[in-house]
Amino acid sequence: MKLPLSWLGEFVRLEADTGELCRRLTLAGLEVESAERVAPGFSGVFVARVLKVERHPNADRLNLCDVDAGAVGRFSVVCGAPNVTPGMTAPFARLGARLIGSGHGGGQCLASLQEVPPLQAAVIRGVRSEGMLCSERELGFSEDHAGILALPDDAPLGAELASYLRADDTVLDIAITPNRGDCLSILGLAREVAALFGLKLKPPAIKSALLMPRAGQANAGNGGGALSVDILAPELCPHYAGLPISGVQIGPSPIWMRRRLELCGMRALNNVVDATNYVMLELGQPLHAFDRAHIAASRIVVRRAGQAPGGALDREFVTLDNTRRALDPADLLIADPEKPLAIAGIMGGLNSEVGAATTDLLLESAYFEPMTISRTARRLGLKSEASYRFERAIDRAGQIRALARVAELIGASAGGKVSGAAVDAEPRPAPARQVMLDLGAVNSILGVAVPGAEVRQRLRALGAKVKSAGARRLMVAPPPFRPDLNEAADFAEEIARLKGLAEIPATLPERASTPATPNDYRGFMRAAREMMVGAGLTEVKTIAFIAPADNQRYPGMGGGAVPVTNPLSAELGELRLSLAPGLLGALRFNLNRQAAAFHAFEIGKVFAMRGGAPGEHERLAAISCGDFALGAVGQPATAASFWTLKGVLEQWLIALGAAARVEFEAAGEAEHHFLHPGRAARVLFEGEPIGYLGELHPAEAVRLELTNPCVLTELDLVHLIAYGFQPRQQVTGPPRYPAVRRDLALVVERDVSAAQVIAAIREAASPLLESVEVFDVYEGGSIAPGKKSMALACRYRAKDRTLTDEEVNRTHGELVEGARRRLGAELRQ
Amino acid sequence: MREQLEALRAAALAELGDRASAEQIEAVRVRVLGRGGELTEVMRRMREVPAAERPAIGQLVNQVKREIESRLEALQERQRAAALARSLGEARLDVTLPGARIPRGRLHPLTLVMEQMLDIFASMGFEVAATQDVEDDFHNFEALNFPPDHPAREMQDTFFLPGGMLLRTHTSNGQIRVMQHRKPPLAVVCPGNCYRRDELSVRASPMFGQIEGFMVDRAGRVTMAHLKGVLSEFARAFYGPQTAVRFRASFFPFTEPSAELDISCLLCAGAGCRVCKQSGWTEILGSGMIHPNVLRKVGYDPAEYQGFAFGMGVERQALLKLGVDDMRLFFENDLRFLGQFPSFAARSAS
Repeated sequence: MKLPLSWLGEFVRLEADTGELCRRLTLAGLEVESAERVAPGFSGVFVARVLKVERHPNADRLNLCDVDAGAVGRFSVVCGAPNVTPGMTAPFARLGARLIGSGHGGGQCLASLQEVPPLQAAVIRGVRSEGMLCSERELGFSEDHAGILALPDDAPLGAELASYLRADDTVLDIAITPNRGDCLSILGLAREVAALFGLKLKPPAIKSALLMPRAGQANAGNGGGALSVDILAPELCPHYAGLPISGVQIGPSPIWMRRRLELCGMRALNNVVDATNYVMLELGQPLHAFDRAHIAASRIVVRRAGQAPGGALDREFVTLDNTRRALDPADLLIADPEKPLAIAGIMGGLNSEVGAATTDLLLESAYFEPMTISRTARRLGLKSEASYRFERAIDRAGQIRALARVAELIGASAGGKVSGAAVDAEPRPAPARQVMLDLGAVNSILGVAVPGAEVRQRLRALGAKVKSAGARRLMVAPPPFRPDLNEAADFAEEIARLKGLAEIPATLPERASTPATPNDYRGFMRAAREMMVGAGLTEVKTIAFIAPADNQRYPGMGGGAVPVTNPLSAELGELRLSLAPGLLGALRFNLNRQAAAFHAFEIGKVFAMRGGAPGEHERLAAISCGDFALGAVGQPATAASFWTLKGVLEQWLIALGAAARVEFEAAGEAEHHFLHPGRAARVLFEGEPIGYLGELHPAEAVRLELTNPCVLTELDLVHLIAYGFQPRQQVTGPPRYPAVRRDLALVVERDVSAAQVIAAIREAASPLLESVEVFDVYEGGSIAPGKKSMALACRYRAKDRTLTDEEVNRTHGELVEGARRRLGAELRQ
Repeated sequence: MREQLEALRAAALAELGDRASAEQIEAVRVRVLGRGGELTEVMRRMREVPAAERPAIGQLVNQVKREIESRLEALQERQRAAALARSLGEARLDVTLPGARIPRGRLHPLTLVMEQMLDIFASMGFEVAATQDVEDDFHNFEALNFPPDHPAREMQDTFFLPGGMLLRTHTSNGQIRVMQHRKPPLAVVCPGNCYRRDELSVRASPMFGQIEGFMVDRAGRVTMAHLKGVLSEFARAFYGPQTAVRFRASFFPFTEPSAELDISCLLCAGAGCRVCKQSGWTEILGSGMIHPNVLRKVGYDPAEYQGFAFGMGVERQALLKLGVDDMRLFFENDLRFLGQFPSFAARSAS
């Protein structure tokens, strides 16, 4: 909301400077986003009267004017404007004046007035001109250069035009929160300023007598008959008032009004529409003017689009921006008995627009329910200054006053006269609101004792009626323009806001100091992250919205993709099924910026449809590409491979204490089509698949223009987190007796996995076998084609004694024989 | 025999001069002390010595042997020391060359900031509770006092999902989720991601982190004054003890009264600069007393219970704290940016 301080000054006399005003408003919840000084686009210009106009002796189209600028003097001016007439009041620029629009283009360019050369005496076709009469363009008000700007006849001669028009102003831009519809007017803001600074509010004096038609004029004018209003949807329009005006002459509004509209960010149109907008800005009541000639039967029907006569339905309507709008049966319309005239509270129709030929008007001032306006405006994508206000609730009792005010302005600027009785239909009067306010509740919310007298005074300043209602209780009638004030918390906010939040002390709550319960989830996440970092991966964060094509390439671990109903773009049309595309994107981003390697992980949520509903899953994913561990200078580096990332994952699982429950097995050929089919593992936790580990498919690597192998892993964390929560601390001392190692080498079929060999050995083993590990795998040479030799180290240990060679040899011999038989393996000597 | 021993001793010691080479030393050791060496020969001939003289000769033999042995040892020690000194000189490293690069990653700045904030609240007695990103209208809006079609909903442009679900626009759903299942007293912070329909840009991201916090207790036990106390302490703990704070009235549908918290601009310390638009203040969070309608929706009687709530953006705090001005930095994951952060979260609690 734009607030020109000159306009504010009409309703409240403020001594504080602009900085202080802005600070206080901001702290009270009316955030001042900017305070812009508006300087006039001219200097040395005065109000003057044209006394005499004579034809220039040497030019047909020029006149010689005798100009009286009061105390400034009398001047002889050459003027080419066609509208110059004797007796008109006009702006006169004397010699030395500066005019921002005196060049060609015109337009307002505030900073550079000092750069404009001063007006100099000129001899035009042999006649000396001692200044000039100015058009709007020359003064920087508009692009209008058709003639001299006509000023009101009561303008004081010799007055500086800048001060007469209050062209030197400051305009605040204030962010109004959705609960403060009452502050969408100059008067509403003035009320806030008065309440904040303890000043008296002077509301505009409005002659409501204007609403009464003058004797002999009743029901005169085009259309004749008395106005009537039918409200078929009183639950959406509890109050509708209309006023007939006749005899208007459409033309431009007075310059002061146009200037105020423009300072408030509105475009001036004509003296009727401008007056309705002016009153809306001033009082907060949106108004609409219909050309009465186009209203059938002088009758207004307020109804839904679905309530057209004879059970019909209005399906579309052309608004005055000349756009055809599709209607919904629930939309509220203003209609006559034949046709719709306006979409209530949002925009009028082209069919009843006020134009140059209009003479008779119907002025509308109504209260529409916020929800209906909001719903229709949103559906149509059509926001107007009116709908913006109706949505936020206008003054429930302000309709008649605004009607009187606009009638007064139209009378003054367009010559319109009230031509009939106002109609005032209020099928649903607002219920009287009375709130019993317990002062104790206010103090309990704020944590500070506010004296009863202060509460009364502050609420009264906001327009509430306050009465005593017993000890520590007040009966409060909130004003009709504050539907947001209903209970103790609402009043507490007003008091805190006006008093200043700084007046409330900052104290710490008294709380029982019980020990905090450990947060296993947070502990797990923290450990999971920091161990990944310790293993050499950098944490990244990527955005959950991705392209459908990426979800198809990287479908995660089951479930369909979750589409976003209203995505920012098709490329961000779905929620990720997997963290992999984000990591690959980050890899590509870094490679494009000369990174030689990228090793990263992300912990985040993925989303998948499960049983028709979108669900979310916590995942950890990691990527590794390029040299992983660099040796010292001159020593070889270790490149990222399946083995390095598997090592990271294994060490991570060991550190989490979950390694014993996790297995890796070869993934099915078609299980993850983005992975190399021969280098992809399924990760199992207690036998259940929880993720994958593998090398990116060479075709994908080509698509992503990767030159080094890239390895990926992704795990669902739910089981690991749940496991992490289990208490399982079990500590033993180090073994007291030495272990004995015996190696064996088995020649097995090439596709027998290490896990199968170890499982066979464990099955054959005695309790003395402590561990068994593969330390070499060998193919070729003396090994038959299609076979491989696997060398394993077995460690034997007893808890209670040192094993003898003989005992170990016997046990190992049995183990070797058992494993050999189970695997159908040969023993390699 | 005595003479023979003396001669043997003299000859050996003469040979084992300071400059004796390793070969000479070894030759002497073999000739004199070796199995068929001179000294062994002398000892074999002990029988020839008269019984009365034997102890004295025996003593002399031992003495000569010890003397030669210790001489040999000293020489060998000297040789080893010289060899070591030679090799040390040769095996010198350029200690300024880098070590083997054992890989170590970094934590994301948003994690660091989030963890630090959670640590502060945890140390003030708040529990940390994670809640869901995919939410229904009730928990994201209705229970938080956003009526349908209310303009306040437009403050948060929502992403909708199939099945009548949506992506939460704030972590305030955590307030409802926790309160629905538990009774006061409660002091909880809910961290997590939220989503709003903003393009990724310098100033905004469609996905961003938030921390929602709330404290509820019997009416009068948790007041606006306590809200100010707790959040002022937070601001000073997070931004530094010199930070000035101010509370500014505002509007949120789910709090009444509502307030935003500003801190003195970190760049100009309140003097006014371009970053704070000359105001000297920077907004960091929204807060307020939980709206009675919200309490009613979770089945609390507003006459019995009251509390405060607050919410703050993680990226915003990170931008302010790190002094950077581009939201995209957090989601591009440029290693040259990420590499500037530590590998561990600072533990602030004592």
